[in-house]
Amino acid sequence: MTAAITTSHLPLNQPGFRLFDGPASDVTDVAPGQIGVVGMPSDWTHSSRLGARFGPEALRKATTLLQSKRPQGGSFNPDTGHRTLPAKNWLVDCGDAEITADDVDATTQAIAAMTEALTVAGAIPLALGGDHYNSFPACLGYSRGLAKRAPNARFGYIQIDGHLDFSDRLGAWGSHNHATNARRISELPNVDVSNMVWIGIAGWVDGGDLALIEKQGGRVFSASEVHSLGTVEVVRQALAHAMQGCDELYLSIDIDAMDAGYLPGTGSVVHSGITPRQYYELLDGFAEAPLGGLDIDELSPPLDPSERTEIISAEMLFRILQRFRTTPVTE
Amino acid sequence: MPLRSGPLPRMAGHLSFMRSQPKAIGDVRSGQLAVLGLPFEDTSAPFAGQSLAARALRETSVYFGWHANPQFSHPVDIDARQDISTDGLHERLCDLGDIALGSDEAIHAALMTATRQINRAGACALLLGGSDRLSVTVQKALQDCQTVQLGGTSCDARNFHIAPLENGSDTTCKIDTATDLVAFTQWRNSTKPLFVRFDLSVFETSLSALCDRPRLGGCDLDTVTQWLSTLGQHRVSAIMLTGLNPTRPGMGIVKVGQRLMVTALLAFVYARLGFGTTDFDTVSL
Repeated sequence: MTAAITTSHLPLNQPGFRLFDGPASDVTDVAPGQIGVVGMPSDWTHSSRLGARFGPEALRKATTLLQSKRPQGGSFNPDTGHRTLPAKNWLVDCGDAEITADDVDATTQAIAAMTEALTVAGAIPLALGGDHYNSFPACLGYSRGLAKRAPNARFGYIQIDGHLDFSDRLGAWGSHNHATNARRISELPNVDVSNMVWIGIAGWVDGGDLALIEKQGGRVFSASEVHSLGTVEVVRQALAHAMQGCDELYLSIDIDAMDAGYLPGTGSVVHSGITPRQYYELLDGFAEAPLGGLDIDELSPPLDPSERTEIISAEMLFRILQRFRTTPVTE
Repeated sequence: MPLRSGPLPRMAGHLSFMRSQPKAIGDVRSGQLAVLGLPFEDTSAPFAGQSLAARALRETSVYFGWHANPQFSHPVDIDARQDISTDGLHERLCDLGDIALGSDEAIHAALMTATRQINRAGACALLLGGSDRLSVTVQKALQDCQTVQLGGTSCDARNFHIAPLENGSDTTCKIDTATDLVAFTQWRNSTKPLFVRFDLSVFETSLSALCDRPRLGGCDLDTVTQWLSTLGQHRVSAIMLTGLNPTRPGMGIVKVGQRLMVTALLAFVYARLGFGTTDFDTVSL
């Protein structure tokens, strides 16, 4: 005699991590005003120390971990004195774009298709790198989507980064790699270099690239200017520059602008970079800007056995997305 | 149309410091900076791995080989907004390779001979260590030299010491660079050879965990860079890098230590080769 087989139907969670432990769904299901997350697990366009292809998974894990430690009820920010409640239905994780390791064209189009669909729908694409090249396909899709949603709209661009990424070509890696993403973005039809701003540039940069940016009206804030001017003033000047005549802002967050002493888990470390406190204050400042799209790049978990780089990067997302993920308590 | 071009051998080929020209020691000439690797362990060090420092420093320096890299135009110091001329660097920076493995006696003898020969030619030796125990040999080779020590343990009161390790103490180091620079000028005797010991421990430990002897209260990068730029304007006979251990457990992949050292060292290289600076010393060695 065969024993009866019983099957339980417990309310199971979906395995794996989603950003901020949010729901997983397709790009077509994201509503206007929501954050639509797109993973870009590719470091095939990085020229030196790899590992950023594990970045999206690490960001999903770290934000979920931090989320679990935040109170589900009202919370209090001692810096601002504001009370907030967690927002609902503010984010959808759309999974990863299809990455084709040996075909940068296919990878580019796959990422762009997802961010374009989100932008057309009125959502805000948040792309998780990956090396910083992937910022270009993410912004490419946003640019295409914006052109469809609002044909005459223009966007300003701010890149927080230790490097300019404005080279036309880079040796063996040609024209599409992690040193050329800003240059490729500058060639998109609905952005102008005079509305492009770089913050946190450190060390030595290519003189030709810097001269070209400034000749075309771009603005570069070095890490030392962040130290000397202060983050509030840098945010004010950066937004004034980037948003002149523009409707929306695209923000590209390269974590490597932070000093390597704090943040070693990235491919191209810089020294005398900005501190975590300064980075967070910059993101606090940009959190109220009219964000149309954004990306965060260059988190390479294998390069930081301490895992603090993942936690710091997750906190960056908590900061920049604060007005989406929380609602203020009216007292 | 494919977006990538064909591969270029940027990371391949002979590994020399900043992609400088390999040269035989007999061909070193006056005014040059001659790099020499010291890939040896200090058997009394708490961790093995210092012998890999010379290779790690060369690998990191390749990123700064602008003069030998056609894909860049020219470097600009973004903080100072100052163009950095690299013209002529390739003619004056050369890499002699490493001191060969051998017995202790043979290694010390080879290092002493090489240091003397480089200095007789009127050049400056840039020694990539490794263990700082070999610095005693360099001091002996540079007869009656004055020694400036960045970091490391203080062992000779005659040395000019910047941010020394507080042996067994947790006292935070107080650094007043402006005052120290004046004191250095008073201490310096330009009739004597000058030897610079640059130990990774000069940096605040939170900036790099790749040092065998971590310390609190060290210098930041700007301070070390300022010192090396100043020292580079003097006629230095030899500068020796020590204290880097690229294999410190779990941290070797991060490469923060060698990045810090090479970034600061660039200030010395450019100052020593006279790009936009003048020699303070008038002594001819």
